Amino acid sequence: MLDRKIVPLTKKIDKIDFICPKEVQLNSHVKLLWMSDVPNQTSRIDLFFDAGLRQDRNIIVSLCSSLLLSGTKEKKSTDIHHEIDALGAYFDIGLSHEGVLISIFALKSNIFESFKLIYSAIQEAVFPEKEINEVVNEKREKFKINLSRVGFLAQREFQKKIFFDTPYKELTELEDFDNFSRENIIEFHEKHFKKGLSRIAVTGSLLEHEIKEIKELCTPNCITAKLIYYKDFCNKAGIYHVDKSNSVQSAVRIGKTMFNKTHEDFIDFSISNTVFGDFFGSRLMKNIREDKGYTYGIGSALAETGGSGYFIIGSEVGIQHKEATLQEIQKEMKIIAEKAIPEEELSLVKNYLLGQILKLADGPYAMMDLYLSVEAYGLKMDFYNSYINRIHSIKSEDINKMAKKHMNWDSMTIVTSG
Amino acid sequence: MIKFEKYKLNNGLTVILHQDLNTPMAVVNTLYDVGARDENEDKTGFAHLFEHLMFGGSVHIENFDKELQKAGGESNAFTSNDITNYYAIIPAQNIQTALWLESDRMLSLAFTDKSLKVQKNVVIEEFKQRYLNQPYGDVWLNLRPLAYEQHPYKWATIGKDISHIENATIQDVKSFFKKFYTPSNAILCISGNFDSTSIKEQIELYYGAIPGGIKPARLLPAELQQNKFKSKSIKRDVPAGAFYYAFNMSIRKSAAYYLGDLLSDAMGKDSSSILNITLKKELELVSEINAFITGSLDEGLFIISGNLSENTSFDTLDKALWKQIERIKKKGFGKSKLNALKNKISTAKAFQDQALLNRSMNLCYFELLGDANGINEEESIYQSIEHNDLRYFAEQILVKTNCSLLKVHQNAG
Repeated sequence: MLDRKIVPLTKKIDKIDFICPKEVQLNSHVKLLWMSDVPNQTSRIDLFFDAGLRQDRNIIVSLCSSLLLSGTKEKKSTDIHHEIDALGAYFDIGLSHEGVLISIFALKSNIFESFKLIYSAIQEAVFPEKEINEVVNEKREKFKINLSRVGFLAQREFQKKIFFDTPYKELTELEDFDNFSRENIIEFHEKHFKKGLSRIAVTGSLLEHEIKEIKELCTPNCITAKLIYYKDFCNKAGIYHVDKSNSVQSAVRIGKTMFNKTHEDFIDFSISNTVFGDFFGSRLMKNIREDKGYTYGIGSALAETGGSGYFIIGSEVGIQHKEATLQEIQKEMKIIAEKAIPEEELSLVKNYLLGQILKLADGPYAMMDLYLSVEAYGLKMDFYNSYINRIHSIKSEDINKMAKKHMNWDSMTIVTSG
Repeated sequence: MIKFEKYKLNNGLTVILHQDLNTPMAVVNTLYDVGARDENEDKTGFAHLFEHLMFGGSVHIENFDKELQKAGGESNAFTSNDITNYYAIIPAQNIQTALWLESDRMLSLAFTDKSLKVQKNVVIEEFKQRYLNQPYGDVWLNLRPLAYEQHPYKWATIGKDISHIENATIQDVKSFFKKFYTPSNAILCISGNFDSTSIKEQIELYYGAIPGGIKPARLLPAELQQNKFKSKSIKRDVPAGAFYYAFNMSIRKSAAYYLGDLLSDAMGKDSSSILNITLKKELELVSEINAFITGSLDEGLFIISGNLSENTSFDTLDKALWKQIERIKKKGFGKSKLNALKNKISTAKAFQDQALLNRSMNLCYFELLGDANGINEEESIYQSIEHNDLRYFAEQILVKTNCSLLKVHQNAG
């Protein structure tokens, strides 16, 4: 007879076999990473360009990346898109402060053709005036819509204060959409796409000669100097509010300058952050959602940049609960710094994190993503083994120490909007 | 080809096993055949509120998530107008924990007054975050009752009104559970890395003794055939006018569902779709335009929506849009366009099927549609679609008397 009161026995995860992609050197600064063992028909090619927002005014950078497939001398934008469709391929273009990531998705029978098509369209882009106007109009409209979202307003203000006084602080304004020229975009493209390829990641069972051809095709467009990222961020602490009338919720963003994986405190802090606010059973969720019902969701994260990083707490809360939410967050910071983490909670977080890592290492795409996210900082896959070992060994006082050191309320940038 | 094994327990629970020895994980997915369409019109938003309460403790287990997290797992759920779906993802060696947890909450819930009170607040904040505090956020709260006059699809999953959630009592919740959360009204899919003999023993152990219950009969008010054009205008503080053309279409289980899906891709899925090329690129009437289907189990909607460019009137857009629709009815699409659409569907399907969780949810969903093996048959249905099928679908469905139009105007100033 089953006794439902008895909790089933569980087994700990103590070892995960991490698989590294093959490395092909394009030049002394650029690698092609290749994960060839994919047990199905899918494949993906990721192209990284050093063409992020940090390189120029936001409007120029963002228009350039949105217009990469807008036409060449020989082909119109619609021709290019029809050819991509015919191959059944998809692509995605992501822009951040520090780069542009173009991902191409296709069945393995079509991935090489899709790559050649998209890559040459990017390299030979001519930026027709009409295409520029169309994208500007679309972006302007989206921007206006975003300006009526409290989350967007709070995030902008937060960014301004987190990247205070550095090249990363620029915010796009409505008038920027009229304040650029086609030549700006072409010049940016010359510099950062024709000479800005910084990494390639291939996941899929391509043929050796296809990889060789990708290498030959791409090498002339590679960067020729090591990438150097801005390091010296220091957030402007304080409390800021962005007014937005008629809101029924306030957006809250709280955080400060932190660090990336290369920092000695990274692993300890990120485990501490899981306890604090980084999963469904975190203290912020338990307190502010599950106990008080102030919000649909609240979370905290450690966001990394090439040379640094920042800590961020985010939520949208009922407008009447804004002050109480801020007080509770402050209280949680104090508790995690001063009070021992109950044994049951700590062991729960450890098991949860180990399960997460196992999931994040499931399959070739996941493995490639894990690799990319350490390789970017000059680290190796054994970073994850260190992480796993530290999950096993970390103690309550280590977490208190991290919170004491890095979660001081007065050092935070606190932004609300609504 | 996704392989699986299917059987029923004596209490009526349908079980699907899908083994994948390449993954270190396992997924326990449970689909309950209940959604917002099963709610009483005076108590809407209930299926979804209930989904939140399913995490508030069961008869032998105080905290669902906590026990799952201790075993390295995580879980979530969603509610639609048609179904409620729960899943747990867990390291394969701890799958027993997920079975223990999921079966206990199928057996009986034990949430407190406090968890009801808190979850009401959480759902009210969700209502605000998604529907009230977003530009165009309340569009579906207006479009549904315009397009549906009889069928319960006239209200959104979140509910008609916040007051319905506020007024929910513990008695309401209990009777909802009793009626809909029974083995005979559920489909369970276990997927991932497990031993197929011992998993069956465990399923029998945890689920076999739960009383089966009676699968509730579903008698929903049917929508009358629409015979005249409907339209509604609302004014909001938004930066641009927006339009939503909703056309009635068939149920999920009909062949026409696939035609609607493919036609909506052709008309407005991405930048190479017909409406994007004509209305956005060539005529510059819109800053954004999309076409998609709701894909609901009962009669669904084919939607064309978008935002007007500055200085474009609703009338100008309307004329241009109908002109395009008429052109599609007359000329349809070239062979190469149709092939491209099919190729994109094959790629999307291959990527979707990669994820264990997707496979688990889809196996349950297709089983609800009648046969889990539908997951393996769907692609050939798309591949068999011909040029004239799409034209015929457009002629039948994309007509004015079958359309409800919602216009969102900008508040002056």
